[in-house]
Amino acid sequence: MINESMNNEQLANGEWRMANGEPRDRPHVSRFTFHASRNTDYELRITNYELRITNYDVYLVGVGGQGVLTIGDVLMEAALQQDIPASFYPTKGMAQRGGFVKAQLRLGRQPVGPNVPEQGADLVIAMEVSEALKAVRFVKPGGDFLLFGHVWPPTAVMLGKASYPTLEQVLEQVQEAGGRRHYLAAENLPLYEGQPVPANIFVLGAAVGHSGLGQVLDPSVVAQVVQTRWKKGVERNLFAFQAGLSQMANGK
Amino acid sequence: MSVEVQLETRIVTGNEALALGALRAGVRVVTGYPGTPSSGVLESLVSMNLPDRHVEWSTNEKVAFEVAAGAAWAGQRALCTMKMSGLNVAYDSVISIAYSGCTGGLVIYVADDPGVSAGMAEQDSRGFAIMSDLPMLEPASVAETYRLIQVAFDLSERAETPVFVRLVTSIANAHAPVEVEEPIPPPEREALLARDIARYTKAGATICMAQHRDLIARLQRAGQAIREMGLNELHLSPPKSMNNGAMNNEQGLGIVASGVTAAYLEEGFEIAAQFGFKRDTVSILRVVATNPFPAAEVRTLLRHCSTVLVLEELEPYLEKNIIVEAHQLGFQGRIVGKLDGPFSRIGEYGVSQVVQGVGQALGLPVPADLFRGYSTAEQLAAQRPITVCAGCPHRGTFLALNQAIRRLKLKKDEVMVTGDIGCTILGMNPPFDTVWNEVAMGASLGLAQGYVYAGTKTPVIATIGDSTFFHAGLPALVNAVQHQVPLTLVVMDNGWTGMTGMQVNPGTDEAFQPAGNRRVDIARLIPALGVEQFFVIDPLNLDESASVIQNALTLPGVKVVLARQECAIQAQRRGLRAGQVRVVPENCNLCKLCITRTGCPAITIGEESITIDPDLCYGCGLCAQVCNREAIRRGLEQ
Repeated sequence: MINESMNNEQLANGEWRMANGEPRDRPHVSRFTFHASRNTDYELRITNYELRITNYDVYLVGVGGQGVLTIGDVLMEAALQQDIPASFYPTKGMAQRGGFVKAQLRLGRQPVGPNVPEQGADLVIAMEVSEALKAVRFVKPGGDFLLFGHVWPPTAVMLGKASYPTLEQVLEQVQEAGGRRHYLAAENLPLYEGQPVPANIFVLGAAVGHSGLGQVLDPSVVAQVVQTRWKKGVERNLFAFQAGLSQMANGK
Repeated sequence: MSVEVQLETRIVTGNEALALGALRAGVRVVTGYPGTPSSGVLESLVSMNLPDRHVEWSTNEKVAFEVAAGAAWAGQRALCTMKMSGLNVAYDSVISIAYSGCTGGLVIYVADDPGVSAGMAEQDSRGFAIMSDLPMLEPASVAETYRLIQVAFDLSERAETPVFVRLVTSIANAHAPVEVEEPIPPPEREALLARDIARYTKAGATICMAQHRDLIARLQRAGQAIREMGLNELHLSPPKSMNNGAMNNEQGLGIVASGVTAAYLEEGFEIAAQFGFKRDTVSILRVVATNPFPAAEVRTLLRHCSTVLVLEELEPYLEKNIIVEAHQLGFQGRIVGKLDGPFSRIGEYGVSQVVQGVGQALGLPVPADLFRGYSTAEQLAAQRPITVCAGCPHRGTFLALNQAIRRLKLKKDEVMVTGDIGCTILGMNPPFDTVWNEVAMGASLGLAQGYVYAGTKTPVIATIGDSTFFHAGLPALVNAVQHQVPLTLVVMDNGWTGMTGMQVNPGTDEAFQPAGNRRVDIARLIPALGVEQFFVIDPLNLDESASVIQNALTLPGVKVVLARQECAIQAQRRGLRAGQVRVVPENCNLCKLCITRTGCPAITIGEESITIDPDLCYGCGLCAQVCNREAIRRGLEQ
């Protein structure tokens, strides 16, 4: 985990670090176990866990095919289970895959308009380095900006005919906008049975584990949604979620 | 007596809420033509098993509306869905049927797209409701959509008029929890066959003017019903001070908010509070029924307030009417909106407009950049032009068109290729740069004829997809045949209405049509119109396709080339592949021709050679056909 005070070398190695700056509300010892998995029981330790019912806005961006909208879907379902008023507004481009996608999740408000204002998002989740730039103006000064460092170069970039922003440029822009930067390297995805886990579920876990989102939505409820949403790959998905969540919590 | 109500809270989109609400209202016939962001209503109904209702994707919106109107004239409840562009198509019938009114409830759902997330005009369809004197309801939320669609059917039957329900994209596609009740089967009504020339024809001035009078009377009746139902909500602020006498024009700010803008009020008020805004001094008129204009409520508001803020997206329809009312009342205060105020006719409204609006209206010190985020970041972002999917047969057609033009020793910028709506328009983007324009459904064919008459010396080509051809291309082709216009039409038939999410159209394979439907085969239809030069090509066979198109371009009269191959996305969903391709790394010199020519998203540049993503690749083989080093081979061997 990379936080404001860390430098670019550390950013590039992709390790998760505890925020070593401001004190943060941390999740609490509500120990829970996923019972549905057949072979393994995953345990989560969460410290100082306390739910706050509050207004909380999430802005998600990425590229079609990365499962960005699925993150929002899962959070929306978790909100429903917790009886938290919620609105989820995904916007897909025309392309089936490979186009810009964004989604806006608004928790706690009733009534609620679907669009998050600029400088209004408590949390930005960006799944692609260049597309992250399109979310910068939406982060609230002091809000969390979680960047998953996947690079999906458009064809013109691949051919060397167009430029692509560097990771440092993107993180600098986030900082300029006042966002608290959290970087997750794409190449270091945890392995499950030798295969990298689904990136979006991993990022979902990380978001719940290391932003204010985890104080609004109960991580165990989110985990249950992850567990019941897909028939196939239940253990893999739970593993991915837990990996995202606990990498944060462990401050590895 | 208490009635047990079965409620289930479900997360649904605005479109799904509208569909479920229509089922709850006992709708019997639902029709529509796909168009983002409206398609979700019919999509969700098509996916349900509804034996006692008729649900169809119609050929176009005009047909869809006439089917629904016929059912409503025969006494049943009917719903017709479309996007704003579709309303333009249907409108000829809408205004005529508005003159006749209806018996069964008839609701037109139209989706507008302020902020343009679906690439069409920022048309404000409220203007159509005003022009046709039809009531229009505009929900502010997903949950309200579920309720208001039911109200719309009741209102339609009560005032015997078709009723519009208008959503914007941010409600149509937003997901929210809604308490959904059990659907109600359509009421048992015999089809009503009412012969009434004076009502159902336009035979002469007397009849037409009588119908016009009746139309205006029906809108008044609807307005009365809307007031009785309390659809428009007026909340007046408490009188400020009774003791210093005069109450008029001293009661602070009145806000008129329509549609989705109302959903942002409370959030905006919270933010404005830090600049001195006081919630309890504000009066609010939430306009849910935007047509007829809620004159009585507006007058009450004007009498109560010293300043009025109007929050409505796109056109200042309410604002202009409020100014008229204010003039008639002798209102002396300010009316803040688009005509006198900070707002734009372009784009969506949100929290920002509420806060800046009350700031302007009350003179509060709201910083101009309060919602202006750090926007320089976006300038650094890589451009991501959309292209056709991996395996898309249109890729082959664009490549073949370009090749045919080259073989005729012409340059791409010397040959007019008109474009049309749908996935086929992606030929405008790199690497193809084939298609020149995009206007409206079917417009490629008419435009091409105009370019011919304008004296274009090079061949003129029109391109259109299958669904768009059925929708509005057919009459234009008939025109070309009748007038024997020398042009080449390329119909790109992938069997599905693709861009809007793979709906069935008349040309879709019968196996995927609803039971009992019949496929209308373009390959039989076009020759039957008298097109003598008709060719069918497989767009995944590049060389042959280019030869056929090249030949067609040199022939006189109307030539039609039917490029036929199923949408790769749909075929892949059924586990099909066109074939297999593999890279021969030792032959690849990384010239990147495969990428620069096809732009296929499945191909990336590897260390020693290009690589093909096996999950994305459909095996169309176009990359192998453009490679001149045999570095990509087709076949099954690995």
